[in-house]
Amino acid sequence: MASEQTKKHPYHMVEPSPWPAIGTLAAFIMAIGGVWYMKGGTIYLFATGLLILFWVSYRWWRDVVAESRNGVDHTNVVRLGLRMGMVLFIASEVMFFFAFFWAYFHSSMPIFSLVAPESWPPKGVVPLDAWSVPFLNTVILLSSGATVTFAHHALLQGNAKKTARWLLLTVLLGLTFTGFQAYEYVHATFTFTGGIYSSTFYLATGFHGFHVIVGTIFLFVCWRRAKAEHFTPEAHVGFEAAAWYWHFVDVVWLFLFVWVYWWGGSGAVAG
Amino acid sequence: MANETTVAEAAPAKAHGNGHENGHGHHPTGWRRWLFSTNHKDIGTMYIVLSLVAALVGGAMSFLIRLELAEPGIQYNLFWLDNEAAYLQFYNVLVTGHGFIMVFFVVMPAMIGGFGNWFVPLLIGAPDMAFPRMNNISFWLLAASLVLLLIAAFTQGGPGTGWTVYPPLSNAEFHPGAAVDLGILSLHLAGASSVLGAVNFITTIFNMRAPGLVIHRMPLFVWAILVTAFLLLLAIPVLAGALTMLLTDRNFGTAFFDAARGGDPVLWQQLFWFFGHPEVYIIIIPAFGIISQVISTFSKKPIFGYLGMAYAMVFIGFVGFIVWAHHLYTSGLDVDTRAYFVSATLIIAVPTGIKIFSWLATMWGGSIDFRTPMLFACGFIFLFVMGGVTGVALANAGMDIAFHDTYFVVAHFHYVMAIAAVFAMFAGFYYWIGKMSGRQYPRVLARVHFWMFFIGVNVVFFPQHFLGMAGMPRRIPDYPDAYAGWNYVSSVGSYLTTASTLLFFYIIWRTLRSGEKVAANQWGEGATTLEWTVDSPAPFHTHEDLPDMREKQPAE
Amino acid sequence: MLRILKLIVLVPVLAALSLMLGTGDVFAAGRAEPWQMWFQPAATPVMERILEFHNLLLIIEVSIVVFVLAIMCYIIFRFNAKSNPVPSKTTHNTLLEVIWTGVPLFILIIIAIPSLKLLYYADKVQDAEMTLKVTGNQWYWNYSYPDHGGFAFDSIIVPNAELKKGQPRLLTVDNPVVLPARTNIRLLLTSADVIHNWAVPAFGVKLDTVGGRINETWVNINKEGDYYGMCSELCGVNHAFMPIHVKAVSKADFAIWVKKAKKDFADVEVPAAAKLAQADAPAVAR
Repeated sequence: MASEQTKKHPYHMVEPSPWPAIGTLAAFIMAIGGVWYMKGGTIYLFATGLLILFWVSYRWWRDVVAESRNGVDHTNVVRLGLRMGMVLFIASEVMFFFAFFWAYFHSSMPIFSLVAPESWPPKGVVPLDAWSVPFLNTVILLSSGATVTFAHHALLQGNAKKTARWLLLTVLLGLTFTGFQAYEYVHATFTFTGGIYSSTFYLATGFHGFHVIVGTIFLFVCWRRAKAEHFTPEAHVGFEAAAWYWHFVDVVWLFLFVWVYWWGGSGAVAG
Repeated sequence: MANETTVAEAAPAKAHGNGHENGHGHHPTGWRRWLFSTNHKDIGTMYIVLSLVAALVGGAMSFLIRLELAEPGIQYNLFWLDNEAAYLQFYNVLVTGHGFIMVFFVVMPAMIGGFGNWFVPLLIGAPDMAFPRMNNISFWLLAASLVLLLIAAFTQGGPGTGWTVYPPLSNAEFHPGAAVDLGILSLHLAGASSVLGAVNFITTIFNMRAPGLVIHRMPLFVWAILVTAFLLLLAIPVLAGALTMLLTDRNFGTAFFDAARGGDPVLWQQLFWFFGHPEVYIIIIPAFGIISQVISTFSKKPIFGYLGMAYAMVFIGFVGFIVWAHHLYTSGLDVDTRAYFVSATLIIAVPTGIKIFSWLATMWGGSIDFRTPMLFACGFIFLFVMGGVTGVALANAGMDIAFHDTYFVVAHFHYVMAIAAVFAMFAGFYYWIGKMSGRQYPRVLARVHFWMFFIGVNVVFFPQHFLGMAGMPRRIPDYPDAYAGWNYVSSVGSYLTTASTLLFFYIIWRTLRSGEKVAANQWGEGATTLEWTVDSPAPFHTHEDLPDMREKQPAE
Repeated sequence: MLRILKLIVLVPVLAALSLMLGTGDVFAAGRAEPWQMWFQPAATPVMERILEFHNLLLIIEVSIVVFVLAIMCYIIFRFNAKSNPVPSKTTHNTLLEVIWTGVPLFILIIIAIPSLKLLYYADKVQDAEMTLKVTGNQWYWNYSYPDHGGFAFDSIIVPNAELKKGQPRLLTVDNPVVLPARTNIRLLLTSADVIHNWAVPAFGVKLDTVGGRINETWVNINKEGDYYGMCSELCGVNHAFMPIHVKAVSKADFAIWVKKAKKDFADVEVPAAAKLAQADAPAVAR
């Protein structure tokens, strides 16, 4: 392969890899297993698929990390491409949340739908107090945005230990956020199947929470890598990707806080 | 006379630096070569094979549909179905499956996954895609998605909802069982495949163009794939969100589309079509790109108005995001909303017209060889205009009162997709098969294929305009007797089309087995893009020396 | 040469056009005829305007297609490799590009103005004289007359085996919906289950029936007669088998029919008006 001899171009000719095929198998098993579970069966097939997916993700990204450190594959232009790819991926994620916000506004505002209820929250629904735990969570996430930025500054200064410390703090803040959200979910008076308010609330905040967990894991991995001194001031694509993802998660939360928690809980739509 | 037959030597390449590759270095053989591939050509080939297989399945479904519709009354039952009600449900499943398969598993894989993967790197002078390994998961996810869809079709009655999957019909109450859920998950996998593919194409095109190949000089097919990739990137996730909401409505008690609990079935339609309209541009814009390449090559002229062509595609892509509700005209939308969508939809005719006229202007003054790719390209222009003008009619909400959910709509979208887009696919096939396989297609048989297919599809779909105007609704297995005449004609057309498709498969086999070997540039002076500077078949690795495009003549 | 070509193309096109346009009167009102190539004759002012608008559209559509075809034919004859061995290198002509951007835009405006007028005219009627409520069901229609005492009845397809002579297959129902001609009628549509669509081609009426909401349009039937339509949104296995049959009668005959219908349908339950749900009502048991 080209990497065995001098490449005459700066691009990464990736060696053949089994992870895409095995990953697809995992997705397929998750699909069949998911349907099995949803139609009353056990969850084991789905769980198997999920575990395979976790393993494939681990092996695939482990390969990427190794390639980034072999001195050959990740040239400047390849790193630029990776950053571009991450930005594009995040753009697609924005559109995913766009769908849930659309559903939320369609369901809650009469101007968008003939069937939106006269008041929002609908009669009988007791919303969460936006200025209690949700506001605390906003502070937590905004702070975590700051801590990851401090980590970045430390990284640019070449201070691996400081980078790791700020990353760890970010991870802890992320975990705290998730903990508080879980608490709220358990203590909310409206259940998952409670109608349109519940549906829009739990799906929008739930997918956000899922993305927080993914982002936290990503930052955790970066913490470990920072401690192992993988990142240099010139080359730290993985860190940037995790940080951007985290900021995206933060921005989605701000929209959720303003529109779902604050506006949505205030009875702003005239009854 | 220029390029009557294949050229013995490669035409002098304007760019230097490649054409010497002989695939040095080893690559895996056997099944690992395909399952573990990180090669854009191999992956492109796999996409094309998938597209061909799916075309047989989707075509068989439409053949069964036309068999049923050939005469009034319910003619058919299938041996595994117990009674007529089960057959009627299966008929709806055929309609659903035919739509999904043709859109997601035939046209998109052929043009984007197939020709896009094969030729974008070749056209921009790149050795492969930006993310070669992720490229492979895009393919295999699509294969898994197809399998899931076929399983869905045969599970507990199958999804008899149409490809549009409107609730409440698609909800748990009216489609209990796993069929719709399997269909939803199939679309999730296909969507993931497309989004990852889009990331790959955009990054490749932005980041890996050869030195000197500025964006405003790259071939129009590359522009087409770039615009299409952005549409995929931004539209598919909205479908994913909607599908997830339908899944939770069906299985976890949410109420997004359940009127009794505060939801709204029309919300699904809004979300679906916000994806669905860009989707039809995802189908046609790559076709535009292929046609530009073919017309330029066989007219031996550069494309007229290159910048206009590129930005017309960008404009179509952009405006394509703000016209979706013309699919919802009869759902009960507010009249002012409909008025906006009428106006916005009509606007798209302007950049589309610019493209048609630019292709004609390219041909004007050219020295045209009417080889088979060019036949399909000319057919594309004429038939796309026919389909396009009926689209202009449908854009008007007042007119749509008469046309919505009739065979007039079926005629319109089949003209632009099943005819025009498929013509572009055939044009691309005949244009590029020599480069992909090293062998040329049998020339007489190819022309026979063109004429058979051209006549066949027009006989199938032109009478459907009459049926729609006369009031025949869509998605029905039986119709009032008055509609029998044109339905019979349409079905006869489908027999001809099916025969021509079988001929096409024979042509593929003949080409690969015993086609005449071709040189790097088989088309002569009109073939000015980079793929014609590498050997035929293109070696496993190409552009290992990046071509220097700095002294190349500007595309304009 | 070119003139002959244009003739070969134009004559059949014009012939077909006149066939299509001219034969409108030959057809009986209300449903399609075999081998029909045109709309059913208009039975309402809305459909009349739709037909008028379509004539404008068709002229533009055919002109564009013929124009493109003519240019292509000329290109094929004049610029094939034999006839024109040396290709030109022209890739720009600003005037041409301005024209082919501006002229289509102008044509679109010519289309948009009558289009929007038609849209607003067809939308709602200001002074309805009566109301008909239509409820879609799997797989039949239910009609109720809120202004005439609120009676209701189901309108179910007559199976093929039970058709009487002369009754059209797949269009005949047991109880057609009777309406007075030359009357402004408000139509309120909803559904009891999935989405259906109530459509009568001769009326220029087509509107989804959606559970949980009431969609509104209107109709004024010009002349007495029988008018047919079919459900126009996929609604399940029998989607093809829930036709619409409107019997338009004089105002006097309508009054007589109402009296009789009230008695005949006295014990048919009026479907619950689609309720806009109390959001967050207790979850439906699954």
